[in-house]
Amino acid sequence: MAKFIVRRLLLMLLTMLLVSVAVFVITEAAPGNVARNVLGIHITPEQEASFLAQNGLDKPMLQRYFSWLAGTDWRVSNTIGMSVKRITTEEGFTEWWAVEDGTVIRWKLEGEDLIAQRRQPDGSVQEVVENERWQVKDPAIEAERLREYRAQILENAQLSEADRQAILQELDRILGILEGQDQSQATLLAALAAPEAALETMIDAEAAQSKETVQQVAKEVAKQDNLIQAFLVHRDLSAPTADQIDQQSLQTMARRLNQAAEAIQSLNPGLADQLAQAAEHLTAKDAAAAREVLDGAAQTLDALLGGMGAFVDALESGNYRQAVGILRDLSDPAQIPLDSARLAVLPDTLESVAEALEGANPEFSETLLGAVESLRAGNTGEARQTIGAAADILEEFGETIARGDAAGPARVARKFWGIDTQNHAVRWEKGTDKEVWRLVPGSGWLATSGGPVEYIPLQKGLIRGDPGLSLRTGRPVADLLFTRLRNSLILAGIAFVIVMPLALVMGLIAGLNEGKLLDRILSIGGMMFSVTPEFATGIFLILIFASWLKLVPGATVFGEDAPWTRPDMLVLPVLTLTLVELGYVLRITRASMVEVMKAPYIRTAFLKGLPYRRIVVKHALRNALMAPITVIMLHVNWLLGGIVVVEVIFGYPGLGSYLLSSALFKDFNAIEGGAIILVAVAVSTQLLADIVYTFLNPRIRYG
Amino acid sequence: MATSEQTIKASAQPSRWRNAWEKISIIFESKIALVGLVIVLFWVLVAIFAPLLTPYSPTEQDYTAQNQGPSGAHPLGTDSLGRDIWSRLIYGARVVLVVLPVSESFWLPGGTALWGVFLGLLIGSTLGLLGGYVGGWVDEVVMRLLDAMMAFPVILLYMIIIAAFGASATNVVLAIAIVGIPGIARLVRSLTLDIRTRDYIRAAETRGESVWYIMFVEILPNARGPIIIDAMLRVGYAIFAMGTLGFLGLGLPPPSPDWGSMVAKGRQFILSGSPWAALWPSIAIASLVVGLNLFADGLSEESLRYQ
Repeated sequence: MAKFIVRRLLLMLLTMLLVSVAVFVITEAAPGNVARNVLGIHITPEQEASFLAQNGLDKPMLQRYFSWLAGTDWRVSNTIGMSVKRITTEEGFTEWWAVEDGTVIRWKLEGEDLIAQRRQPDGSVQEVVENERWQVKDPAIEAERLREYRAQILENAQLSEADRQAILQELDRILGILEGQDQSQATLLAALAAPEAALETMIDAEAAQSKETVQQVAKEVAKQDNLIQAFLVHRDLSAPTADQIDQQSLQTMARRLNQAAEAIQSLNPGLADQLAQAAEHLTAKDAAAAREVLDGAAQTLDALLGGMGAFVDALESGNYRQAVGILRDLSDPAQIPLDSARLAVLPDTLESVAEALEGANPEFSETLLGAVESLRAGNTGEARQTIGAAADILEEFGETIARGDAAGPARVARKFWGIDTQNHAVRWEKGTDKEVWRLVPGSGWLATSGGPVEYIPLQKGLIRGDPGLSLRTGRPVADLLFTRLRNSLILAGIAFVIVMPLALVMGLIAGLNEGKLLDRILSIGGMMFSVTPEFATGIFLILIFASWLKLVPGATVFGEDAPWTRPDMLVLPVLTLTLVELGYVLRITRASMVEVMKAPYIRTAFLKGLPYRRIVVKHALRNALMAPITVIMLHVNWLLGGIVVVEVIFGYPGLGSYLLSSALFKDFNAIEGGAIILVAVAVSTQLLADIVYTFLNPRIRYG
Repeated sequence: MATSEQTIKASAQPSRWRNAWEKISIIFESKIALVGLVIVLFWVLVAIFAPLLTPYSPTEQDYTAQNQGPSGAHPLGTDSLGRDIWSRLIYGARVVLVVLPVSESFWLPGGTALWGVFLGLLIGSTLGLLGGYVGGWVDEVVMRLLDAMMAFPVILLYMIIIAAFGASATNVVLAIAIVGIPGIARLVRSLTLDIRTRDYIRAAETRGESVWYIMFVEILPNARGPIIIDAMLRVGYAIFAMGTLGFLGLGLPPPSPDWGSMVAKGRQFILSGSPWAALWPSIAIASLVVGLNLFADGLSEESLRYQ
């Protein structure tokens, strides 16, 4: 017997393994995309890639299957060089930490700083900056990248010559180190310290910040000033992507052109006419014709603006050299004569530009405002001089930004493998210019340059009792799976306890009355209930008991509570299951009873003159029950299907509805976890059926 | 020579017809089978003549008449999108019993449920014949494979197949077939084990017939009786399964008329007082499945009596 059970248990494990492989392969082969299902259809490709990477879905199929089966923590230990440990916090969250010298530790990245979190014995977390953990990324690859970058610096028009030479000098030193003989981390880090520190001094964090502000501001100005807008419409229409501009944007452009036309109607009626004409073409959705008209008008317009249109455009695209050049031209009487038309337009335009830039560079803004005042006072000479000063300020500003921009990527990229705060092993990198999208729970999508570039989600693996995280909710599958399983078992258990005695007794009665009216009614009625799909039975019951008689609720709402807190809500689900199962068991019991009652030994008992009651109870019953009990156990498989449907009809929070929604989402870990549990339930009841059968039928011996 | 052969054929013809008629007339012996037959025939006829029986298209929406009860214009009422329920019901029966929509412009005769059972029969009997007749390691492999499939909860299999390949009539056929294979194969295998010991199989083997010839020409036709009764019950299961799949949102893609998904959609409006959209398709599927089972039950009971 023991041998038999062991063999069956081994077979059960084998079946579960087969099922998990089958589920894995089918889910894998299926079309559809879990990232889209979870995050919605409007995510960008980068976000999708990030979601897949964070959940380890970008790895090869075989590797993912083994990670799911056997866990990733041991692999992570090798990769990060520390052992890892799973902790359950007091709030009930599962967290993974690395273990270093007896304390647990994990990391996060803020800007370019690596911050270590150490968990204290009392549960609090201490944060320390630990930039010394950064390691040099593969020297050969970095050398390759930097050589390419060197060429870019030579062509970088924004850099001043002095800065270019300074950066090249440090870059060459770094290249020398990377191509040197000694490639050990310690040597590299020590040697790189000096040139990288020199590069560091060239980076002005404040300037980098104001660069973004200037870009923002330039866009704002472009929106507010009608004339600059009109100039920029021409730019947008001439861009290579012009044919992708949608209808609505074209209408907006037309409106802007009309506003600009109105603004210069009195100064330059010809130009205003051209603008209005272009606006008309745009309204008629003819972008090409509008561009042709504007080709002529834009030059005139920008000349009228004193080059301010091109200036704003240059600021927006970060081309400070060009912006400075435009200001210089403006300060030079030989280049741009200030006639009355210009004098009418220029002060306002300059003022809006100056005011907008106040946040980004107050000095520049102030100087430019001084020039506006001089212009308004009619003092052109002084105005030109002030504009020249403003150009100097902008030039310096631009060079600082260009220097910082160029010096940053000249440093060698660093990497670090550690555990992040969201239960992944992560390879962080800094100094790479690759943009990384991260889904941060609670704050949405963040784009950072540098940061996590490779993830290994931490899990113990199924064979160690961890089915992983649900992709849909981000919570451990096991958390929900067991509550759902409990709920389903309660439902099935109650139905089972009601069905069994009822069906057996009714089946026996029908069997004893074979062919009579009572038998007809019971067996045909039972058949009708057992073949009617559960959802139809459920609907009939809801209509009768909930909708018409209003006796019990027609749906189940438990929230977080256990099902037994609201027994009234259990009535209809249990009744549905009962009706469907009742007929099946009844028919089998009946058939078995009929067969037994025709057996020779029963006839002998009758002929011996035993009382009817005694024959039925002592001789027929035990033999008649053998078949139904085993068949019922084998029927569990079918019952599981019924439970899924009943759970869906009544909104019952059981395993079946959980599996269904997981399958529809392609939530791989949840499907696998649920499938394994279902198979375990199905196979173990079959085993139980076999064991019960041996007790009922002493002729069978399993060896 | 030729004339004598023709006479034999001619004399054989009436007796064969009589034979067949005797078999069919069993139906009229059993009241249960007759009731079942009437119900099934009702749905088959309604499905065949669906376009003649309603002025509405099953997908035509009327936003001025939503969730209505039965009336002169709509004999069974309308659903939440104002579609005529009667028209959806009978076109739904068409998909189950009469046509298999393979793609938008192409359909096969024979309903989705019938094709599912047929495909299951095809693969299942091949496996069963192989296991039963060839035996040896082939039998071992086939049986272990079937055991694994049996251990797999049916509903899980449905969900994964449909979730994996998407909801369409052909995939429903596949799902029904795959789920039916183990049962059919086991039945055919047990019948084959019995028949392979008969003398005419020995004779065919001595004649040097191929394995496939013996399996499909000698064994299968002689095992047809139980297989046909089993297949009839399986059509009932298949309709049951189609309804369940539709109800779980795994059936035919909307807006095709599908009984199960009609119930699923109508269910949301029961408690707000419009039960019709859920009630009618529930009755339809229950009556069709019960009818099929009554028919098969009555038939097998009656044929047992004459054995």
